[in-house]
Amino acid sequence: MDKISVLLLAGLTNGSVYGLIGLSLSLIYGTNRVINFAQGDFVMVGAMSAILFMVTYSLPTPVALLAVIGVVLVCALALEFAVYRPLVRRGAPPLTIMIGTLAAAIIASGIALLIWGANQLYVPNILSLDPITLGPLTTNLQQLSIISAFVIFLLVTWFLLYRTSFGLCVRATGANPRVAQLMGIRSSRIVRFGFMFSAFVSGISGVLIGPLLGGQVSMGVALTVKGFMAAILGGLGSPFAAAAGGLVIGLLETFVAGYGSSLYAEPIIFLLILLVLLIRPFGLLGDFEAVRR
Amino acid sequence: MINPSTRSPVWQARLPFIAFLVVALAVPALLTSGFQLRLVSLICIYAILSMGFNLLYGYAGQIAMGHQGFFAIAAYAYALLQLKAGLPVLAALPLSLVICALVAVVIGVPLLRLRTHYLAMATLCFGLVISGVANRWIDVTGGTGGLLIPSITIGNKTVDRTTLYYLIVAATALVLALQNFIVSSHLGRSLQAIRDDDRAAAALGVNVAVQKLRVFVLSAVIAGLAGIGFAVVSRQVSPSMGEFPVLVSMLTIAVVGGLGTRYGPILGSIVVVIAPQFLTRFGDMETLIYGLCLLLFLIFMPHGLSGMIKSLGRALSGRLARRTPPRLAPKHAVKKGVGR
Repeated sequence: MDKISVLLLAGLTNGSVYGLIGLSLSLIYGTNRVINFAQGDFVMVGAMSAILFMVTYSLPTPVALLAVIGVVLVCALALEFAVYRPLVRRGAPPLTIMIGTLAAAIIASGIALLIWGANQLYVPNILSLDPITLGPLTTNLQQLSIISAFVIFLLVTWFLLYRTSFGLCVRATGANPRVAQLMGIRSSRIVRFGFMFSAFVSGISGVLIGPLLGGQVSMGVALTVKGFMAAILGGLGSPFAAAAGGLVIGLLETFVAGYGSSLYAEPIIFLLILLVLLIRPFGLLGDFEAVRR
Repeated sequence: MINPSTRSPVWQARLPFIAFLVVALAVPALLTSGFQLRLVSLICIYAILSMGFNLLYGYAGQIAMGHQGFFAIAAYAYALLQLKAGLPVLAALPLSLVICALVAVVIGVPLLRLRTHYLAMATLCFGLVISGVANRWIDVTGGTGGLLIPSITIGNKTVDRTTLYYLIVAATALVLALQNFIVSSHLGRSLQAIRDDDRAAAALGVNVAVQKLRVFVLSAVIAGLAGIGFAVVSRQVSPSMGEFPVLVSMLTIAVVGGLGTRYGPILGSIVVVIAPQFLTRFGDMETLIYGLCLLLFLIFMPHGLSGMIKSLGRALSGRLARRTPPRLAPKHAVKKGVGR
């Protein structure tokens, strides 16, 4: 029982991060049909710049948080202006743009390598890591904050997309950018919003997960791939499906590692994805994409 | 209309091939140090790897980002068949390629139902799984340390370095010839039809699923061949062969050399293998410069070096043609006529 609760919480924590990355991926995909390979690197930038502002410059926590958000948003704008825009202007197909974001991910980790070096660094925790007991569960505030951030971001995304006129614009752009533009929606702004919002989500999750994972310059790729797994399993078409996929992957990974060995975790997840793809090629919950085609 | 990428004059198609063979065969006479010879071998190996990828992505339009997985699988199979099963080289080589093909069929059948981004992400997950297994299944794969590859012995003679080099050049020439043959054959044309529009291709009688699977398995086997070559040259197999940097070099080669061109993979791998030799002096900047080059090529030279050479050639022949009296009407007039 004890082991189950520990694993459950750890799985939910990891799953929340994967889910948030999956959500960010599918938000960007929803606005401009581009898969962002640099998504995990936003998480990395979030975690690493938290080190920079909170340890190196020892700013007070709220100021540091704002600074981290600023850095992440600047990175998102840089991605849009230096990679996405020039490629789109030259009429590059989506797959080329995807390789462009991969180049951006390499550049990001290259720059981070120059600033922070290759070693794993300790990321300061905003909330305490002391164990607290909630009924049968033993956890800490940092873990809880990640899980609650997951829930909050899900709610915020849902509200933005389905309860505001701006969200209607976003969904319209996703469904058909040209028609949306004819209806007076500025698609390019929607795309920029997609990049910035998803960078914001990923950056915050980087600050939160940093103390538990440890900050490393090369952590971005692994996180991106986990986000991909989440998005494929759940379905890229809907942010919520991708988030759910992330939870499933996080839980599965922790339980397999806890009861078997971490050797089996990734192959089992991959087998699961293969099985799901055989039955539903667009993910467990991804109807949207299937309807579009 | 004649498609320039499938049909070109004989001399134009053969010339780069012969040039490649001449240069590759002359190299051992020109370069003395073993290090330089190793670099040229690496160029050949990366060229093989990228030719498989070129067939799959450049010609058939199916992007797979898991080829580093096949690169590693074949190398591990080759090493393990020799070390654990005690097979001779001549049996281990084809067997490991067969294993590679079987894995490709097993994952290809479900994965190739996916398109574009989904396919890329799913195959990337496959690559990650393979490198994860290679790292953690320590009893078999030797963990991060990897396995040592015994030197090649045929009969009771050990193959020395120069002979090994010639073997690799021969393999590269073979794969290159195979690639060129496929591109100009029925299969190549149906692949390009699938790339441009798979529904139209299906409507014209191309069996899309089968052709996709064929080219996927073929490119996986070619990647496996490259993996074995890499393992033999570096005399060991390690999990790093299945990791992200291999994929990045493969993509960089494809982009720098030019996608969907016959000799792009070779041009690209020359750049990708030689450039880091100059970049090492920048130390930590290496990753950054790699990424910047990839991005700049994508933005400013979307057709890579092959495209640049082609347009240079066209500009040169254009200048020559201007000297001789024009036999055709100026180009825009022709275009207008076609338009109407």
